Amino acid sequence: MWPGVNTIGGASAGPDVDAQLMLRVRDGDEDSFRVLLDKHRNPLVHFLYRMVQVQPVAEELAQEVFLRIYRTRASYEPTAKFTTWMFRIATHLALNWLRDEKHARAEQRLDGPRGDEMPAWEVPDRKPSVEQRMVHQARMQEIREAIARLPDKQRAAVLMHKYEEMEYSQIASVLECSESAVKSLLFRAYETLRAGLAHMVAGGKR
Amino acid sequence: MKCPLQTEETPVVLLDYAAGRLEGARRLKLERHLAGCARCEAFRAEQAEVWDLLDAWEPPAVSTGFNRVLWRRIDEAAAAPWHRKLAEALRFGAWKPAFPIAAAAMVIVAGFVFDHRTESRPGSDPSGATATQISTPNSGIEADQVEKTLDDIQLLRQFDAVSSIRSKPI
Ligand SMILES: [Zn+2]
Repeated sequence: MWPGVNTIGGASAGPDVDAQLMLRVRDGDEDSFRVLLDKHRNPLVHFLYRMVQVQPVAEELAQEVFLRIYRTRASYEPTAKFTTWMFRIATHLALNWLRDEKHARAEQRLDGPRGDEMPAWEVPDRKPSVEQRMVHQARMQEIREAIARLPDKQRAAVLMHKYEEMEYSQIASVLECSESAVKSLLFRAYETLRAGLAHMVAGGKR
Repeated sequence: MKCPLQTEETPVVLLDYAAGRLEGARRLKLERHLAGCARCEAFRAEQAEVWDLLDAWEPPAVSTGFNRVLWRRIDEAAAAPWHRKLAEALRFGAWKPAFPIAAAAMVIVAGFVFDHRTESRPGSDPSGATATQISTPNSGIEADQVEKTLDDIQLLRQFDAVSSIRSKPI
């Protein structure tokens, strides 16, 4: 039913190391699962955070992704790139969560604390002023809101394209659509972002 | 080259360029076009600005106890009673070709359990609206779990559809 390893999901030529690790997990090697966990935990949680924009929820969903991967290890077959499989599960969970929470928590998601008020560039030896921090936080808030306003699938496509640096073909596999549909999703999403963030570009940092 | 903005419905070549993912001859070709096309150059500049803004969005750090919590859950799942493990096996497809059968079996078993328990409780809601309430931890098969199982089965079946989607001409 499925083609061979690395023929799905825009995988590059050569062996999918993650798939090899997963095969070892299937054979009972827990250390290989630890390697996969350590390698993909942060990118996965970050992706989910950018999707749902609530850190505890992102971590909970990431837990569920890894649990599902572990529980299905016995029937694992390397028919898709490992990350395609992982992001498919993650996207499925995130889209479900967004669907369920959209109306109930929309206000809270946009106005409430998000757990990332501390700018990444704040380092002990070079503390920005209070004003700089406020400006930075306001900018980050605008970016978050611009992303949050995107339709769910467009958001997922942009996050995979921008932050996970996925090829169109892999995004298509994750979202279960054609490459041309992904290109269309991305083009519309970036169009919306360019319009929504134009004022920041014109009068912001530059 | 022809102007991408005028000739293509989704000129992703401009997105690719702004993302630094255009290389070789395609890159040179587009750069020559950008030098003479104000519209494409404006598009490229705006896209590059958005790209930079998105770069600045850093997610929070992942909790230090993430792995510990995950392993605890894995251990708890391993220590779960047999019926929960069976439910999990059905949920996550230990026997792939049997998904539809397993789904049907889950529904039948769950239906039997609920029905049986409803009958054994005089005064319970005959409409079945209390099915989730009378499901106890000992039953192991709860309404939401059945629903989740079907959800997962659907998800895994969708994985199988990938190859057909990918093989479609674009
Ligand atoms: Zn042009």
